[in-house]
Amino acid sequence: MKQDGSYLEFLKQEYDVGKLFDKPEPLKGVRVLEVCYVVLGPAACDYLAEFGAEVIKFEGQKGDQMRFVTPYAFFWKNMSPGLEIENHNKYWIGMHMNNPKAKEIFLDLVKKADVVVDNLTPGRLATWGLSYKELREINPGIIQLHVSGYGSWGPWTGRTSYDAVAQSMGALSPITGFEERGPIKSGVWIADWITGLMCAVSIMAALNYRERTGEGQFIDYMQVENVIRWLDWTWLFTHKTGTDRKRSGNRDLAICPSDLFRCSDGWVAVAAFAEQEFKGLCEAMGQATLFEKFHDPAERLKDENARDILQAIEAWTAAKTVGQVEELGNRLGFAASRVLSASDVYHSPHFRERGTMQQYDDALYGDMVQHCYPPRLSETPSRLKWSSRPLGFDNEYVFTKILGMQRTAIKSLEEEGIIFKWNPSIPSHCPPSDWDEISGKKLS
Amino acid sequence: MDDKRIIGMAANAEYARWAHRETNPEDIFKKPEALDDMLVIDASHGSYAGLFASSILSELGAEVVRVESPGGDIARKMSPYGMMVKDSGLAYITEARNKFHVTLDITTQVGANIFKRLAQKADVVIETFKPGYLDQRGVGYRQLAVQNPGLIYCPIYVYGQFGKDAEKYGNQPDYDITNQARGVIMSVTGEPDLDPEVAPEYKRPLKQGNWMGWYAGGAWAAFGIMTAMYHKRQTGKGQIVDCSPPEGLLAISNYVMQYYHMSHNLMPRAGNYDYAVFPYTYVKCKDGYTFISGFTDPNWTALCEIMDRPELRAKYPTIKERLNPQNQPDIQHQIEAFTSKYTADELLRVIGSYMKRPDRKGTVVVGRLESPKEVVQREHWQDRLTFYVTDDPYYGEIFIQNSSFKAMSLTPGRIKWVCRPIGADNGYIYQKYLGIGKTRLEELRQAGVV
Repeated sequence: MKQDGSYLEFLKQEYDVGKLFDKPEPLKGVRVLEVCYVVLGPAACDYLAEFGAEVIKFEGQKGDQMRFVTPYAFFWKNMSPGLEIENHNKYWIGMHMNNPKAKEIFLDLVKKADVVVDNLTPGRLATWGLSYKELREINPGIIQLHVSGYGSWGPWTGRTSYDAVAQSMGALSPITGFEERGPIKSGVWIADWITGLMCAVSIMAALNYRERTGEGQFIDYMQVENVIRWLDWTWLFTHKTGTDRKRSGNRDLAICPSDLFRCSDGWVAVAAFAEQEFKGLCEAMGQATLFEKFHDPAERLKDENARDILQAIEAWTAAKTVGQVEELGNRLGFAASRVLSASDVYHSPHFRERGTMQQYDDALYGDMVQHCYPPRLSETPSRLKWSSRPLGFDNEYVFTKILGMQRTAIKSLEEEGIIFKWNPSIPSHCPPSDWDEISGKKLS
Repeated sequence: MDDKRIIGMAANAEYARWAHRETNPEDIFKKPEALDDMLVIDASHGSYAGLFASSILSELGAEVVRVESPGGDIARKMSPYGMMVKDSGLAYITEARNKFHVTLDITTQVGANIFKRLAQKADVVIETFKPGYLDQRGVGYRQLAVQNPGLIYCPIYVYGQFGKDAEKYGNQPDYDITNQARGVIMSVTGEPDLDPEVAPEYKRPLKQGNWMGWYAGGAWAAFGIMTAMYHKRQTGKGQIVDCSPPEGLLAISNYVMQYYHMSHNLMPRAGNYDYAVFPYTYVKCKDGYTFISGFTDPNWTALCEIMDRPELRAKYPTIKERLNPQNQPDIQHQIEAFTSKYTADELLRVIGSYMKRPDRKGTVVVGRLESPKEVVQREHWQDRLTFYVTDDPYYGEIFIQNSSFKAMSLTPGRIKWVCRPIGADNGYIYQKYLGIGKTRLEELRQAGVV
């Protein structure tokens, strides 16, 4: 459809990426204590951090496992990309949590914090004397979220969950893959990321409620249940038919046509469910009879019809380029898009203009170009300030600024082994080898 | 409830009992709701991103008014094989929870005016039209915010509201498949190119089986709306929450973007492998598929010992070899040669007994892939009320996934009703918010506005 130029102009002004840092942050003043490792918990906190929350991350002496999990064992300037992806804008503490003095320090921070997040074994924090009961006593407004595969109680509480386990136990991978082939795991740790997102949603609900009433609360969130929640019509279908939902490749069983097709130069995703949209597609294909026969969306959903229609489209796209199909889609009102790769997005002016991909100059790692979490808020946009950090990088800053600790007190905590920094013999704990010992330090 | 079922396999039983008391599903309706001071207009059309966003808000207590065109939202017709329950398909019944359903023809002047009056009272408007559609009709953000500066306006659209691609392709409708295609994850999901045993026709990008594009879009929209709402509670200011679902996927595409920045290389489709942890994969067994892991050196040694394949350990001695995509198909097939001799339960026993050995070299984890039929029968999900079962007065027996926010101790998420017929709440909502009573409503009906 024809766009109103003035609406576009208005949006371009509202969303000028040059003004990102001149706008307020929605979660400014929200302090989050993150006792998390691997992907899920840190991701939940990362979402909040890019919208302005002050996230203080606690790591044990070995370091977050993601310091060692990275594609092809590839490290960059001593940094593990696996750690980088779920840790931005955070403050990094190395502290041995299961220690009476550490507990005292942590509780002092809780007094001045808004949210505590953990993805340890259920009950681990309670065993350390850091249960919600104890936190609430010193800060009635505190919001504590615990996330694990199966939650804090119930027959399966305590079972270990990984992303791949959650994808399978929640039945996502069993419904993903081609009809006559086996189940396929997502190319990414999707059960971690989407569960982290819903954790952030529930924290936002609790923060909104606290804004109304002053009351905090405890949240128990389950990773596997979250996967179950996201599986659209799977459960009602199983209930109604007594059968499992079948794998169907890229074909959508509830929308027809909606599939991925081969063009002469690549792949194109096409969908056209509404009558007008399907009419446009049939027009593009030059097949008026196909439209006459199947104008009714409900007719198209019948299995046999769907297979015929998809086959006809595949035969048509084979002689077209992806760009041609996309252009026809726009002209005639059906959906058509190429499959974007990381480099497509990285180099796309569209995503730069929207602030989806942001460039920043990191004090440790230099020039970075990365995605910044959506959605795009016009008044209070998300932003990238800095990347992941070496272990214990911000000990002095946090203990001095928030707790007023003297240099000597910090030193003695270090000597007692309660707080610590990167181990120089483990590269992925450390700053880049050319680090000047000052850049990026917040109280140097 | 039986204490044993509450503490399950908990390491800290007292904690499990405490957590159960704090988040007991039986108490949900005795507790307050987090967002019950909010009014949300969901004017989405043909989009489960919009519907999932408003489902989340409604589970948390917001009053959600679904504004459909007089014939009903086409999303009602999106259902596997066309299966319908009365006027709605299975997907719609799943995401219509707690929402009031009104009809309105906003293409008419009268209808647009009613929409405007309704939106003036709302905290949030969600819409999924093509960019600029409502603006052209005088009921977009620019016009609505004049009367209601606190309005949070959330348009959801595959290309977003602005940007080069939105300008170029802004006349395309929004679908899950195009959201997934633009979300980068699809480019790295699917059967691996490097496995010679995979037939060429399967070597193509693969979507997630569910509507991952739409659901991710909806969840990010809800997150953005609640973040904006938090800002509004402090400043009174509203804003635009421009949600493009593919951005919600590409933002969670692991390290593909970082890896590209750092190495200028792309990552290939991983199949069931993983280029950062492997073996960490699904493998065939006698009765289906099972997850298996043995990544670190000690764990890999343990796995090779269980399979009695010491030469495999020697062939791929460090993670460098095991993370090499050229080697992974072979490792995968070697493991499958072992696992396909057993059923998933037998494997669990074989590995379980190895794990009890004092001389074990490391940890190996297995777990069978659950089918949907199995999931719905599990005691754990029954106890946690993961599914909501009801005999709806209109739709009959319904079984859908419950709110996943049930275990918020103070403001648990909940389902109150599952769905409403097209226009079923016209009387109540128009009377409540606009003072339109029976007579006037009948006039609007005759004029085809509602």
